[in-house]
Amino acid sequence: METQLHGGFGQGLVKGLSVTLRTMLHRSVTVQYPHVRPDLPARSRGVIALKQENCTVCYKCSRECPDWCIYIDAHKETHEPAGGGRARSAKILDRFAIDYALCMYCGICVEACPFDALFWSREFDYAEYDIHELTHEKERLEEWTYTVLPPPPLEVGAEASEEGRA
Amino acid sequence: MSDTDVRPAFQSSDLMNMVRGGGVDIVPAGEFATEEMILNIGPQHPSTHGVLRIVVELDGEVITRAEPVIGYMHRGAEKLAEFRDARQTLVLMNRHDWLSAFNNELGWTIAVERLAEIEVPDRAQWIRTMFAEFNRIMNHLVFMGSYPLELGAMTPIFYSFREREMVQDLVESATGARMHHSFARVGGLKDDLPRGFLKRAGEVLVALRRLLKDYDQLIMGNEIVFKRCRDVGPIHPSIAVAYGCSGPTLQSTGVAMDPRKDTPYEKYGEVEFEVPVGARGDSYDRLWVLVQRVRQSCDIIEQCLDRLPAGPYRTGGLLNKAIKIPEGEIYVRTENPLGVQGYYVVGNGKKEPYRLKMRTASFSNISVLPSILPGTLVPDLIAILGSIFFVVGDVDK
Repeated sequence: METQLHGGFGQGLVKGLSVTLRTMLHRSVTVQYPHVRPDLPARSRGVIALKQENCTVCYKCSRECPDWCIYIDAHKETHEPAGGGRARSAKILDRFAIDYALCMYCGICVEACPFDALFWSREFDYAEYDIHELTHEKERLEEWTYTVLPPPPLEVGAEASEEGRA
Repeated sequence: MSDTDVRPAFQSSDLMNMVRGGGVDIVPAGEFATEEMILNIGPQHPSTHGVLRIVVELDGEVITRAEPVIGYMHRGAEKLAEFRDARQTLVLMNRHDWLSAFNNELGWTIAVERLAEIEVPDRAQWIRTMFAEFNRIMNHLVFMGSYPLELGAMTPIFYSFREREMVQDLVESATGARMHHSFARVGGLKDDLPRGFLKRAGEVLVALRRLLKDYDQLIMGNEIVFKRCRDVGPIHPSIAVAYGCSGPTLQSTGVAMDPRKDTPYEKYGEVEFEVPVGARGDSYDRLWVLVQRVRQSCDIIEQCLDRLPAGPYRTGGLLNKAIKIPEGEIYVRTENPLGVQGYYVVGNGKKEPYRLKMRTASFSNISVLPSILPGTLVPDLIAILGSIFFVVGDVDK
């Protein structure tokens, strides 16, 4: 089973050079990144987008985050219904921020969100010179929603789970 | 703490002198003697990939003693896991050996599933097996490229990374990430495969097999690589077993130990593959076993693609529910790309494990270094170190 060297000395080098020569005649696979943007798959975990109007401030994402990089502040507002009756209280989102310097891009928050407020976007080029700017506040997170792609169709043989798609 | 302080770990042995940078012998008057030199290789050294430090005692160019000093990348993954539930721990498990992320998370989820007695659907098991093998290929391609680089050959890394990129693109289309996939979940998978995956996977396999043929010509048949690696750093099977080596390091010595065969998990019991074994246990055999393992992985993936059944991709009723790890303990060992990965989990009925102990492949593999390095030359140290195939994050956890 062992690979042995055949032939005289130098034959392996010639064979190696033939591989190099063959590659030389092929087209290069290098992508000239800043000029050509990569076409990433729809599932790529690039940045998390927040759709504020779907958020009910349940804190599930911030609790499930493995390194607790989601910051949420909210206050309660009570409304007197116009037609009378018991006053209703609702949580209003004051702050929703994700610290991308801490984020591990695991996607647990997107999975845990019960109201479809968080989505993955495949955008990735949001590097900053200052680490504090990596904390994206809710306005910036909202902007990412315009780059969110619909989930790709599933492979043949896949069965939609009874709980729907995560 | 300065480096010259006496550290408790070294007090019991005469290695203390070595670490302190001592080693001055008293020479009787009138006699000539050579003084041994202490050389620190690492923690930051281009030829040790990662922050592994090796203290070697040299007599000229010959190594008389060697001791790896580890812990520079210790991140406390075991302790961190005690405060995180199964899904959150998965993220940590991704990262201790960053080149075999899916294999790590697979072992962890299997441990939790067996402890909590959760059944995994067939389709999920097949997909998991397939991804574990894709990850194995991705891991091995890194080492197939970086090992010749350490020996001084620039070219192979471009070939291996070119093909690795294809595998990575494929895996990314399903998992969404290139390195830390976080795709396995307790009870199945995060999501099903996207459309067109199986077709693309078949194409990638064809390209991979072509690369392996090129690789045989470019590297394995290359005289310089052969002369540089043959009979360099041979490990005796009994030494390898005694130190707990596994993966290519053990298989190259002729011991065909592989949890995929011995204690099949997922669908490894139903697929046909061979465990390649070397004959001499030297650096060349280790590289050879690595290349053969990629061939076997291609075969396994091919069978997975053919036999993938329709069905659900995860057990119903588990989505977004934190799984309680029941009281009890379990040890699960899986074959990671670099060797045997073991997870010892103790549960106490809470969501978080009471204790998690990881047995990592790289840690055991590099522990064999002090026994094989003495007597070798410094240039060979690089060849041996590279051929042990380790990830420092896996050593230090």
